[in-house]
Amino acid sequence: MKFIETLKLALAAIWAHKLRSALTLLGMIVGVTAFVVVVSLIEGFNRYVDEKIAGIGAKSFTVQRFNPLEDFKDTDTIAAAQRRNKELTLDDYDYLRERAQLIGKIGARARGTPSEVKRGDEVLEDVFVSGATANCVDIENRDVAEGRFLAEPENESAARVAYIGADVANKLFPSGNSIGQEITIRGLPYRVIGVEAAKGTVFGIPQDTFIVIPLKTYSVNYGGLIRQRSLYFIATSITDEQFNDAVDESRFLMRVRRKLGPNEKDNFGIVTPDAITGLRDRIFGTIFIVAIAVPGIALIVGAIVIMNIMLVSVTERTKEIGIRKSLGARQMDILKQFLVEAVTLAIIGGAVGIFLAWVVGAIVTWWFFPTYLSILAILGALAASGGAGVASGIFPAWKAARLDPIEALRAD
Amino acid sequence: MSDATVTLSPTENVINAPATEVDGHDPSMLISMRDIWKTYQMGTEKVHALHGVSFDIPRGEYIAIIGPSGSGKSTLMNLIGCLDTPTQGQYWLNGKNVSEMDDDELARIRNQEVGFVFQTFNLLARATALHNVELPLIYGGVSASQRHEMAKQALTAVDLTDRMSHKPNELSGGQRQRVAIARALVNHPSILLADEPTGALDSHTSAEIMDLFERLHSEGNTIIVVTHEHDIAERAHRVISIRDGMIEKDERIR
Repeated sequence: MKFIETLKLALAAIWAHKLRSALTLLGMIVGVTAFVVVVSLIEGFNRYVDEKIAGIGAKSFTVQRFNPLEDFKDTDTIAAAQRRNKELTLDDYDYLRERAQLIGKIGARARGTPSEVKRGDEVLEDVFVSGATANCVDIENRDVAEGRFLAEPENESAARVAYIGADVANKLFPSGNSIGQEITIRGLPYRVIGVEAAKGTVFGIPQDTFIVIPLKTYSVNYGGLIRQRSLYFIATSITDEQFNDAVDESRFLMRVRRKLGPNEKDNFGIVTPDAITGLRDRIFGTIFIVAIAVPGIALIVGAIVIMNIMLVSVTERTKEIGIRKSLGARQMDILKQFLVEAVTLAIIGGAVGIFLAWVVGAIVTWWFFPTYLSILAILGALAASGGAGVASGIFPAWKAARLDPIEALRAD
Repeated sequence: MSDATVTLSPTENVINAPATEVDGHDPSMLISMRDIWKTYQMGTEKVHALHGVSFDIPRGEYIAIIGPSGSGKSTLMNLIGCLDTPTQGQYWLNGKNVSEMDDDELARIRNQEVGFVFQTFNLLARATALHNVELPLIYGGVSASQRHEMAKQALTAVDLTDRMSHKPNELSGGQRQRVAIARALVNHPSILLADEPTGALDSHTSAEIMDLFERLHSEGNTIIVVTHEHDIAERAHRVISIRDGMIEKDERIR
């Protein structure tokens, strides 16, 4: 008996019991939907992070007061790090800049402060204002939409100039033409010199509500580069191949400057993109296992339901099996008939699940979180549902194939 | 053909068997049963449904197997139809020893050599008449287009040309049985094996079906009807009466 005949038979049998088939597949559909949605979320997040890292342009690393991976493990390590790790200073910045041979560019940065920003009657609360040296525009790969980024003389002179995010520009200057205009940040007047291209929202958080001012201006007007306003450096290597060497060199230079002995731990932190992706992989490795396990259970339940229904179906169709056998169906024909039916049923469930997951993913992406439905996830879901179909169909199919034709013909 | 086989094994010929016997059966016969036993284990007791039954059926014969319920005629029918194998004894069908075949070989023999007609028709309820008739061809590996053609011919032969796309529940009892007969004949089997073919039909329709059997016989088909009704059996040319698992009478009546 040809496969196409068997498939037609399976589809006809499934169609003949539409409602029952649909109910049978509920578990399978829920399992596959959950599985694919979770995988789409994780993959969407991964791609987002990768994109952001790629978007930084040349690979960069930061030198900062704490190493979040090492120092923020628990309250004890935080307390210890707070005692040991001193704030970075602009002298440290000059020291690195003068001595490092492998660093391409190095900029200084300060963590930001939420501030009130005004223009005329328009008031914006909690705009994130941070300080930067002029070269950060290249290191951070900023996309300037209008005007320009900060210039180094403006930093040196602590000029009150502001480079603003798209949201700030749109709200304060609804008619455009913000360049050269004056705005008030924390009660002081600043001149707008540039607007950054809109980046939209990520995880529901707007990315365009910020202002960057010269580092020295920030230091002077916000009360020094300490604590929440901690100084940090962001650096690139001359070539990508030398990246790790550049990181090592900076670490070495900082250790020399801090006069650390060979057995002492770093009292500063260096964060590389590898460390970030490594951390992400660690976190998502765990989430992934949990995320697979839960739909996995739904899939097993779905498979058991299919097996149950297939057993019922074999009992109901005993007479049919007897007729088919009397007409020359071999055991393998009957086995294939029921196995293909179970697998087809399961794969239909899988396909419906994938479709629902795609709908859910599209809604989630549109709403607040980037998702990505990969071919691999689709194939994985189909394989899993097909496998569940085989596992649930093989025993009922074997039972059907083994029926004695005389007994089967006698059934009602 | 029998002559050729005989010359191939002359030693068998010498032993006190009839002149035509080869390997313990008569190769000129369509069906040869030799000392067939069928024994069932019922708890601790052994029940013999058949006690050493032997008979031959030549090609083209119209034969009835008659007996009361419990006589062993159903067991005999299952054996003839290759739905089961004997506990002991030899059964040759169309030159093949089917008494020692496994399930799949039996399935192949049923597909190629036997056409069943059942009392309750045994059509697939969800399939059309045409599809029901195609079933043996599907299992015989016949291509779809050829299958359609052969099934249509078979339905035409039983005067159901205009009922091909009807499902069984849209057909009368007599029409259903004719679909079943078309299905039985579509593969051109060696034997048409009917089990109480009129048991579920009224007398008028029964007569029609029996007329159809007569016609099929006159066209050269070998027909075996298993029944407990004497007037049905009397339409055949030869009647084998079974009682208590043994042949009570084997007579030519026509």
